[in-house]
Amino acid sequence: MPDAETRPLVVALPKGRVMGHALDALAKAGLSLKLADDDRRLRHETPEGTVLVMRNADVPTYVDLGVADVGVVGKDVLLESGRRLYEPVDLGIAHCRMSLIRPRGTHGTLNRIASKYPRIAASYAAEQGHPAEIVPLKGNVELACLSGLADAVVDVVETGATLTANDLEEVDVIFESTARFVVNRAALKLRASQLRPLIARLREGAKS
Amino acid sequence: MNGVPPSGVRAHLPGAAKARQEWRNRLAELYESWGYQPIELPGLERYDSNHPRAEESFKLTDRDGTLLALRSDLTPAVARVVQRHWPDYASAASAQRPLRLHVQGTVWQAINPEITRNREITQVGVEFIGVRHPRVDAELIHLARESIRTVGLTPRVEVGNPGFVRALMDEAGVDSELRVRLADAIDRKDVGDVQALLDMGEIRGAHANALLAVPDLYGGTERLKEARAFVTGEASDAALSYLEGALAEFDDDSELLLDLGMARRLSYYTGLTFRAYTVDFSQPLLGGGRYDGALLPYAAGFSIGLERLESAWMLAHEGEEPAQVLALDDEGAHRLRKAGIPVIRAISSNRDAAINEAAELGIPWLLADGDVHAVAPADGDALTSEDEADRAELLKILGGHDA
Repeated sequence: MPDAETRPLVVALPKGRVMGHALDALAKAGLSLKLADDDRRLRHETPEGTVLVMRNADVPTYVDLGVADVGVVGKDVLLESGRRLYEPVDLGIAHCRMSLIRPRGTHGTLNRIASKYPRIAASYAAEQGHPAEIVPLKGNVELACLSGLADAVVDVVETGATLTANDLEEVDVIFESTARFVVNRAALKLRASQLRPLIARLREGAKS
Repeated sequence: MNGVPPSGVRAHLPGAAKARQEWRNRLAELYESWGYQPIELPGLERYDSNHPRAEESFKLTDRDGTLLALRSDLTPAVARVVQRHWPDYASAASAQRPLRLHVQGTVWQAINPEITRNREITQVGVEFIGVRHPRVDAELIHLARESIRTVGLTPRVEVGNPGFVRALMDEAGVDSELRVRLADAIDRKDVGDVQALLDMGEIRGAHANALLAVPDLYGGTERLKEARAFVTGEASDAALSYLEGALAEFDDDSELLLDLGMARRLSYYTGLTFRAYTVDFSQPLLGGGRYDGALLPYAAGFSIGLERLESAWMLAHEGEEPAQVLALDDEGAHRLRKAGIPVIRAISSNRDAAINEAAELGIPWLLADGDVHAVAPADGDALTSEDEADRAELLKILGGHDA
C-alpha cells in the first residue's frame, strides 16, 4: 500500500489560458502533468498527479476544502473567495489590475458600484468611505456604467482596450493581480517533503 | 420546513452516535488516567461582549430582558468557572499548584455554515491551569497525540509558537499599522507580499532576513535548528528556547510537525500553539495552545471536535461492520454482553422465525438453546474456517461460565 503522505498530488487548475502557463511552470519545477488530449475531460489521472479542471472561481473552494492539495489561481479570484489558503509562490503570470472604472469625465459620489467581485468592491467602497451599494453581476460589467445601472464598476483591466472602446476610464487601481500557486493548509504540513522542494523550484522559475 | 433542522446542525444516527459515544468515553478515560478531573459546565451563559467569540454567539433574551448567549467555546467557560471557584488561579502571584481539568460539551457558533464547519459542535478537551513551563506544554502535546491515537487514527501534531513571529516584529520595530498586514502575509506564507511590506516599512538587514525566512520554517523538527540562525533579540531567543524546551521532552518526534510561521490570533495565544491532523484528512481535528493572560494568568489547553473526527474516521474506516448476535436465549445473551459482545434480542419466539429475522437484519449468528447457530447463506455452503473460529469463540464464552 502506498504511503498516504506520498500519494501523487491533486492539482486544481482553472480552465483556459492560465492552465497552459500553470502546467508549463509546474513542468519546469519538475512536476510534469501530461494531460490527455481531450479538452472535455474534467479529471486527468497522470503518474505524477491528478489534475482537476474547473472555473477559476472554484479553485479556492477545492483547495480550501482539501479536495485538491494545491492549485493555481489569480490573486483577484482568491481575494474575492475570502478563503485562507497558503500562497507561497507568485507565478508572475496572468498579470492584470483590479480597478475602479467610470465613464470618462464623470465625478461626484459613488452611489452604486457594479462588479463581478462584490466582496472586493464592498471592501474598497468601505475603505474609501463611499456609502455605495454593490450590484453583483456575472459578466460584461462595463455595460452597467453605459446603461446607468451603476455609476462605477470594479473589474479587472488587462490592456484597457474595452475601456477605450466604450469611453470609460480607469479612475483608481485597487491592486495588481497575478496568478498564485496556492496550497491547502493541512496538505502543506502533511506533505511537506513533497511540497517544500516543489515550492522552492517554482519560486526559482518565477524569478527568471 | 417542518422537521428540517436549521442549517449547520445535524442528527447523529445509530452508527455515528455509537462511535461518538465511544470516543467520548475513551478520551475521558485517557485524560482521567493523566489526572485531569472532569467538570461539567452550563450551556447557557450570560452574554459578554468581551468573550473571544462574542460575535459568533447565538444570543437569547431572558425573561427579565437580560441578554444571554449559548456557549460558543469551552475554554472561556472553563476560565469563568475557575475564576469563581478557584479564585487563587485568577491572580498571577499565587498560582503555582497545577489544576488539570477535563471538559466535554456542545458549543454553538453563529457562523456561515459550510461543509466542513458545523454550527453545533461537540467538543472534548483539557485545560492545564496555573503553571507556565515547557514541560506542561509538552504534556499537552503528548496528550494531543494520544487523543488522536485513542480514537483509532494516525496522529500528526503540528506545533508552533506565534510568540516567535511577534518577537521578531517587535525587535524589527514594525509599527502597529504594518504589523497586522505583515502578520497576515507571514501567515499566508506569501513571501512576495512579506518582501513588499518590509520594503514599505524600510526594514532591512537581519530583521528583514528573519521575517522573510519565517514563513518557510515549517516541516519536521529539524527546522528548529535552522530557526536559531534568525534570532534577532532576547524575546525571539526566549520564544524559540521555550519551544526547544518542550520538544526536548520527546524521544520520538516522528509524528511531530513544526511551523514557526504561525501568526494568527497573535493577541490571544501567548505561547505554543498546536493542531493535530491525521494522515490524508485535510482539516485539523484538534486545536489549542497557551493563552496566558487572555482569560487566566497561566493556562493552556486544547479541544477536539467530534464532528470533524466523524468525517475523518468515516474516510479511514469505510464499510466496516461489527459482528453481531441475535438471541432467543436471554441467559446466554447476558453472558455474551458481559464479555463485551453486542447482542440483539430477537422479536421472534421460535428458532426458524429467528433465523429469518437474523438473515433479514444481516446478523451472522443466532443464539438459541445455549448453542450458536450460523445464519446460513441461501446456498447452504459449509462454514469457512474463519467462521468456525468465531463460533468457537462465542461458545467458549457461553461455556466458560458454566464450567
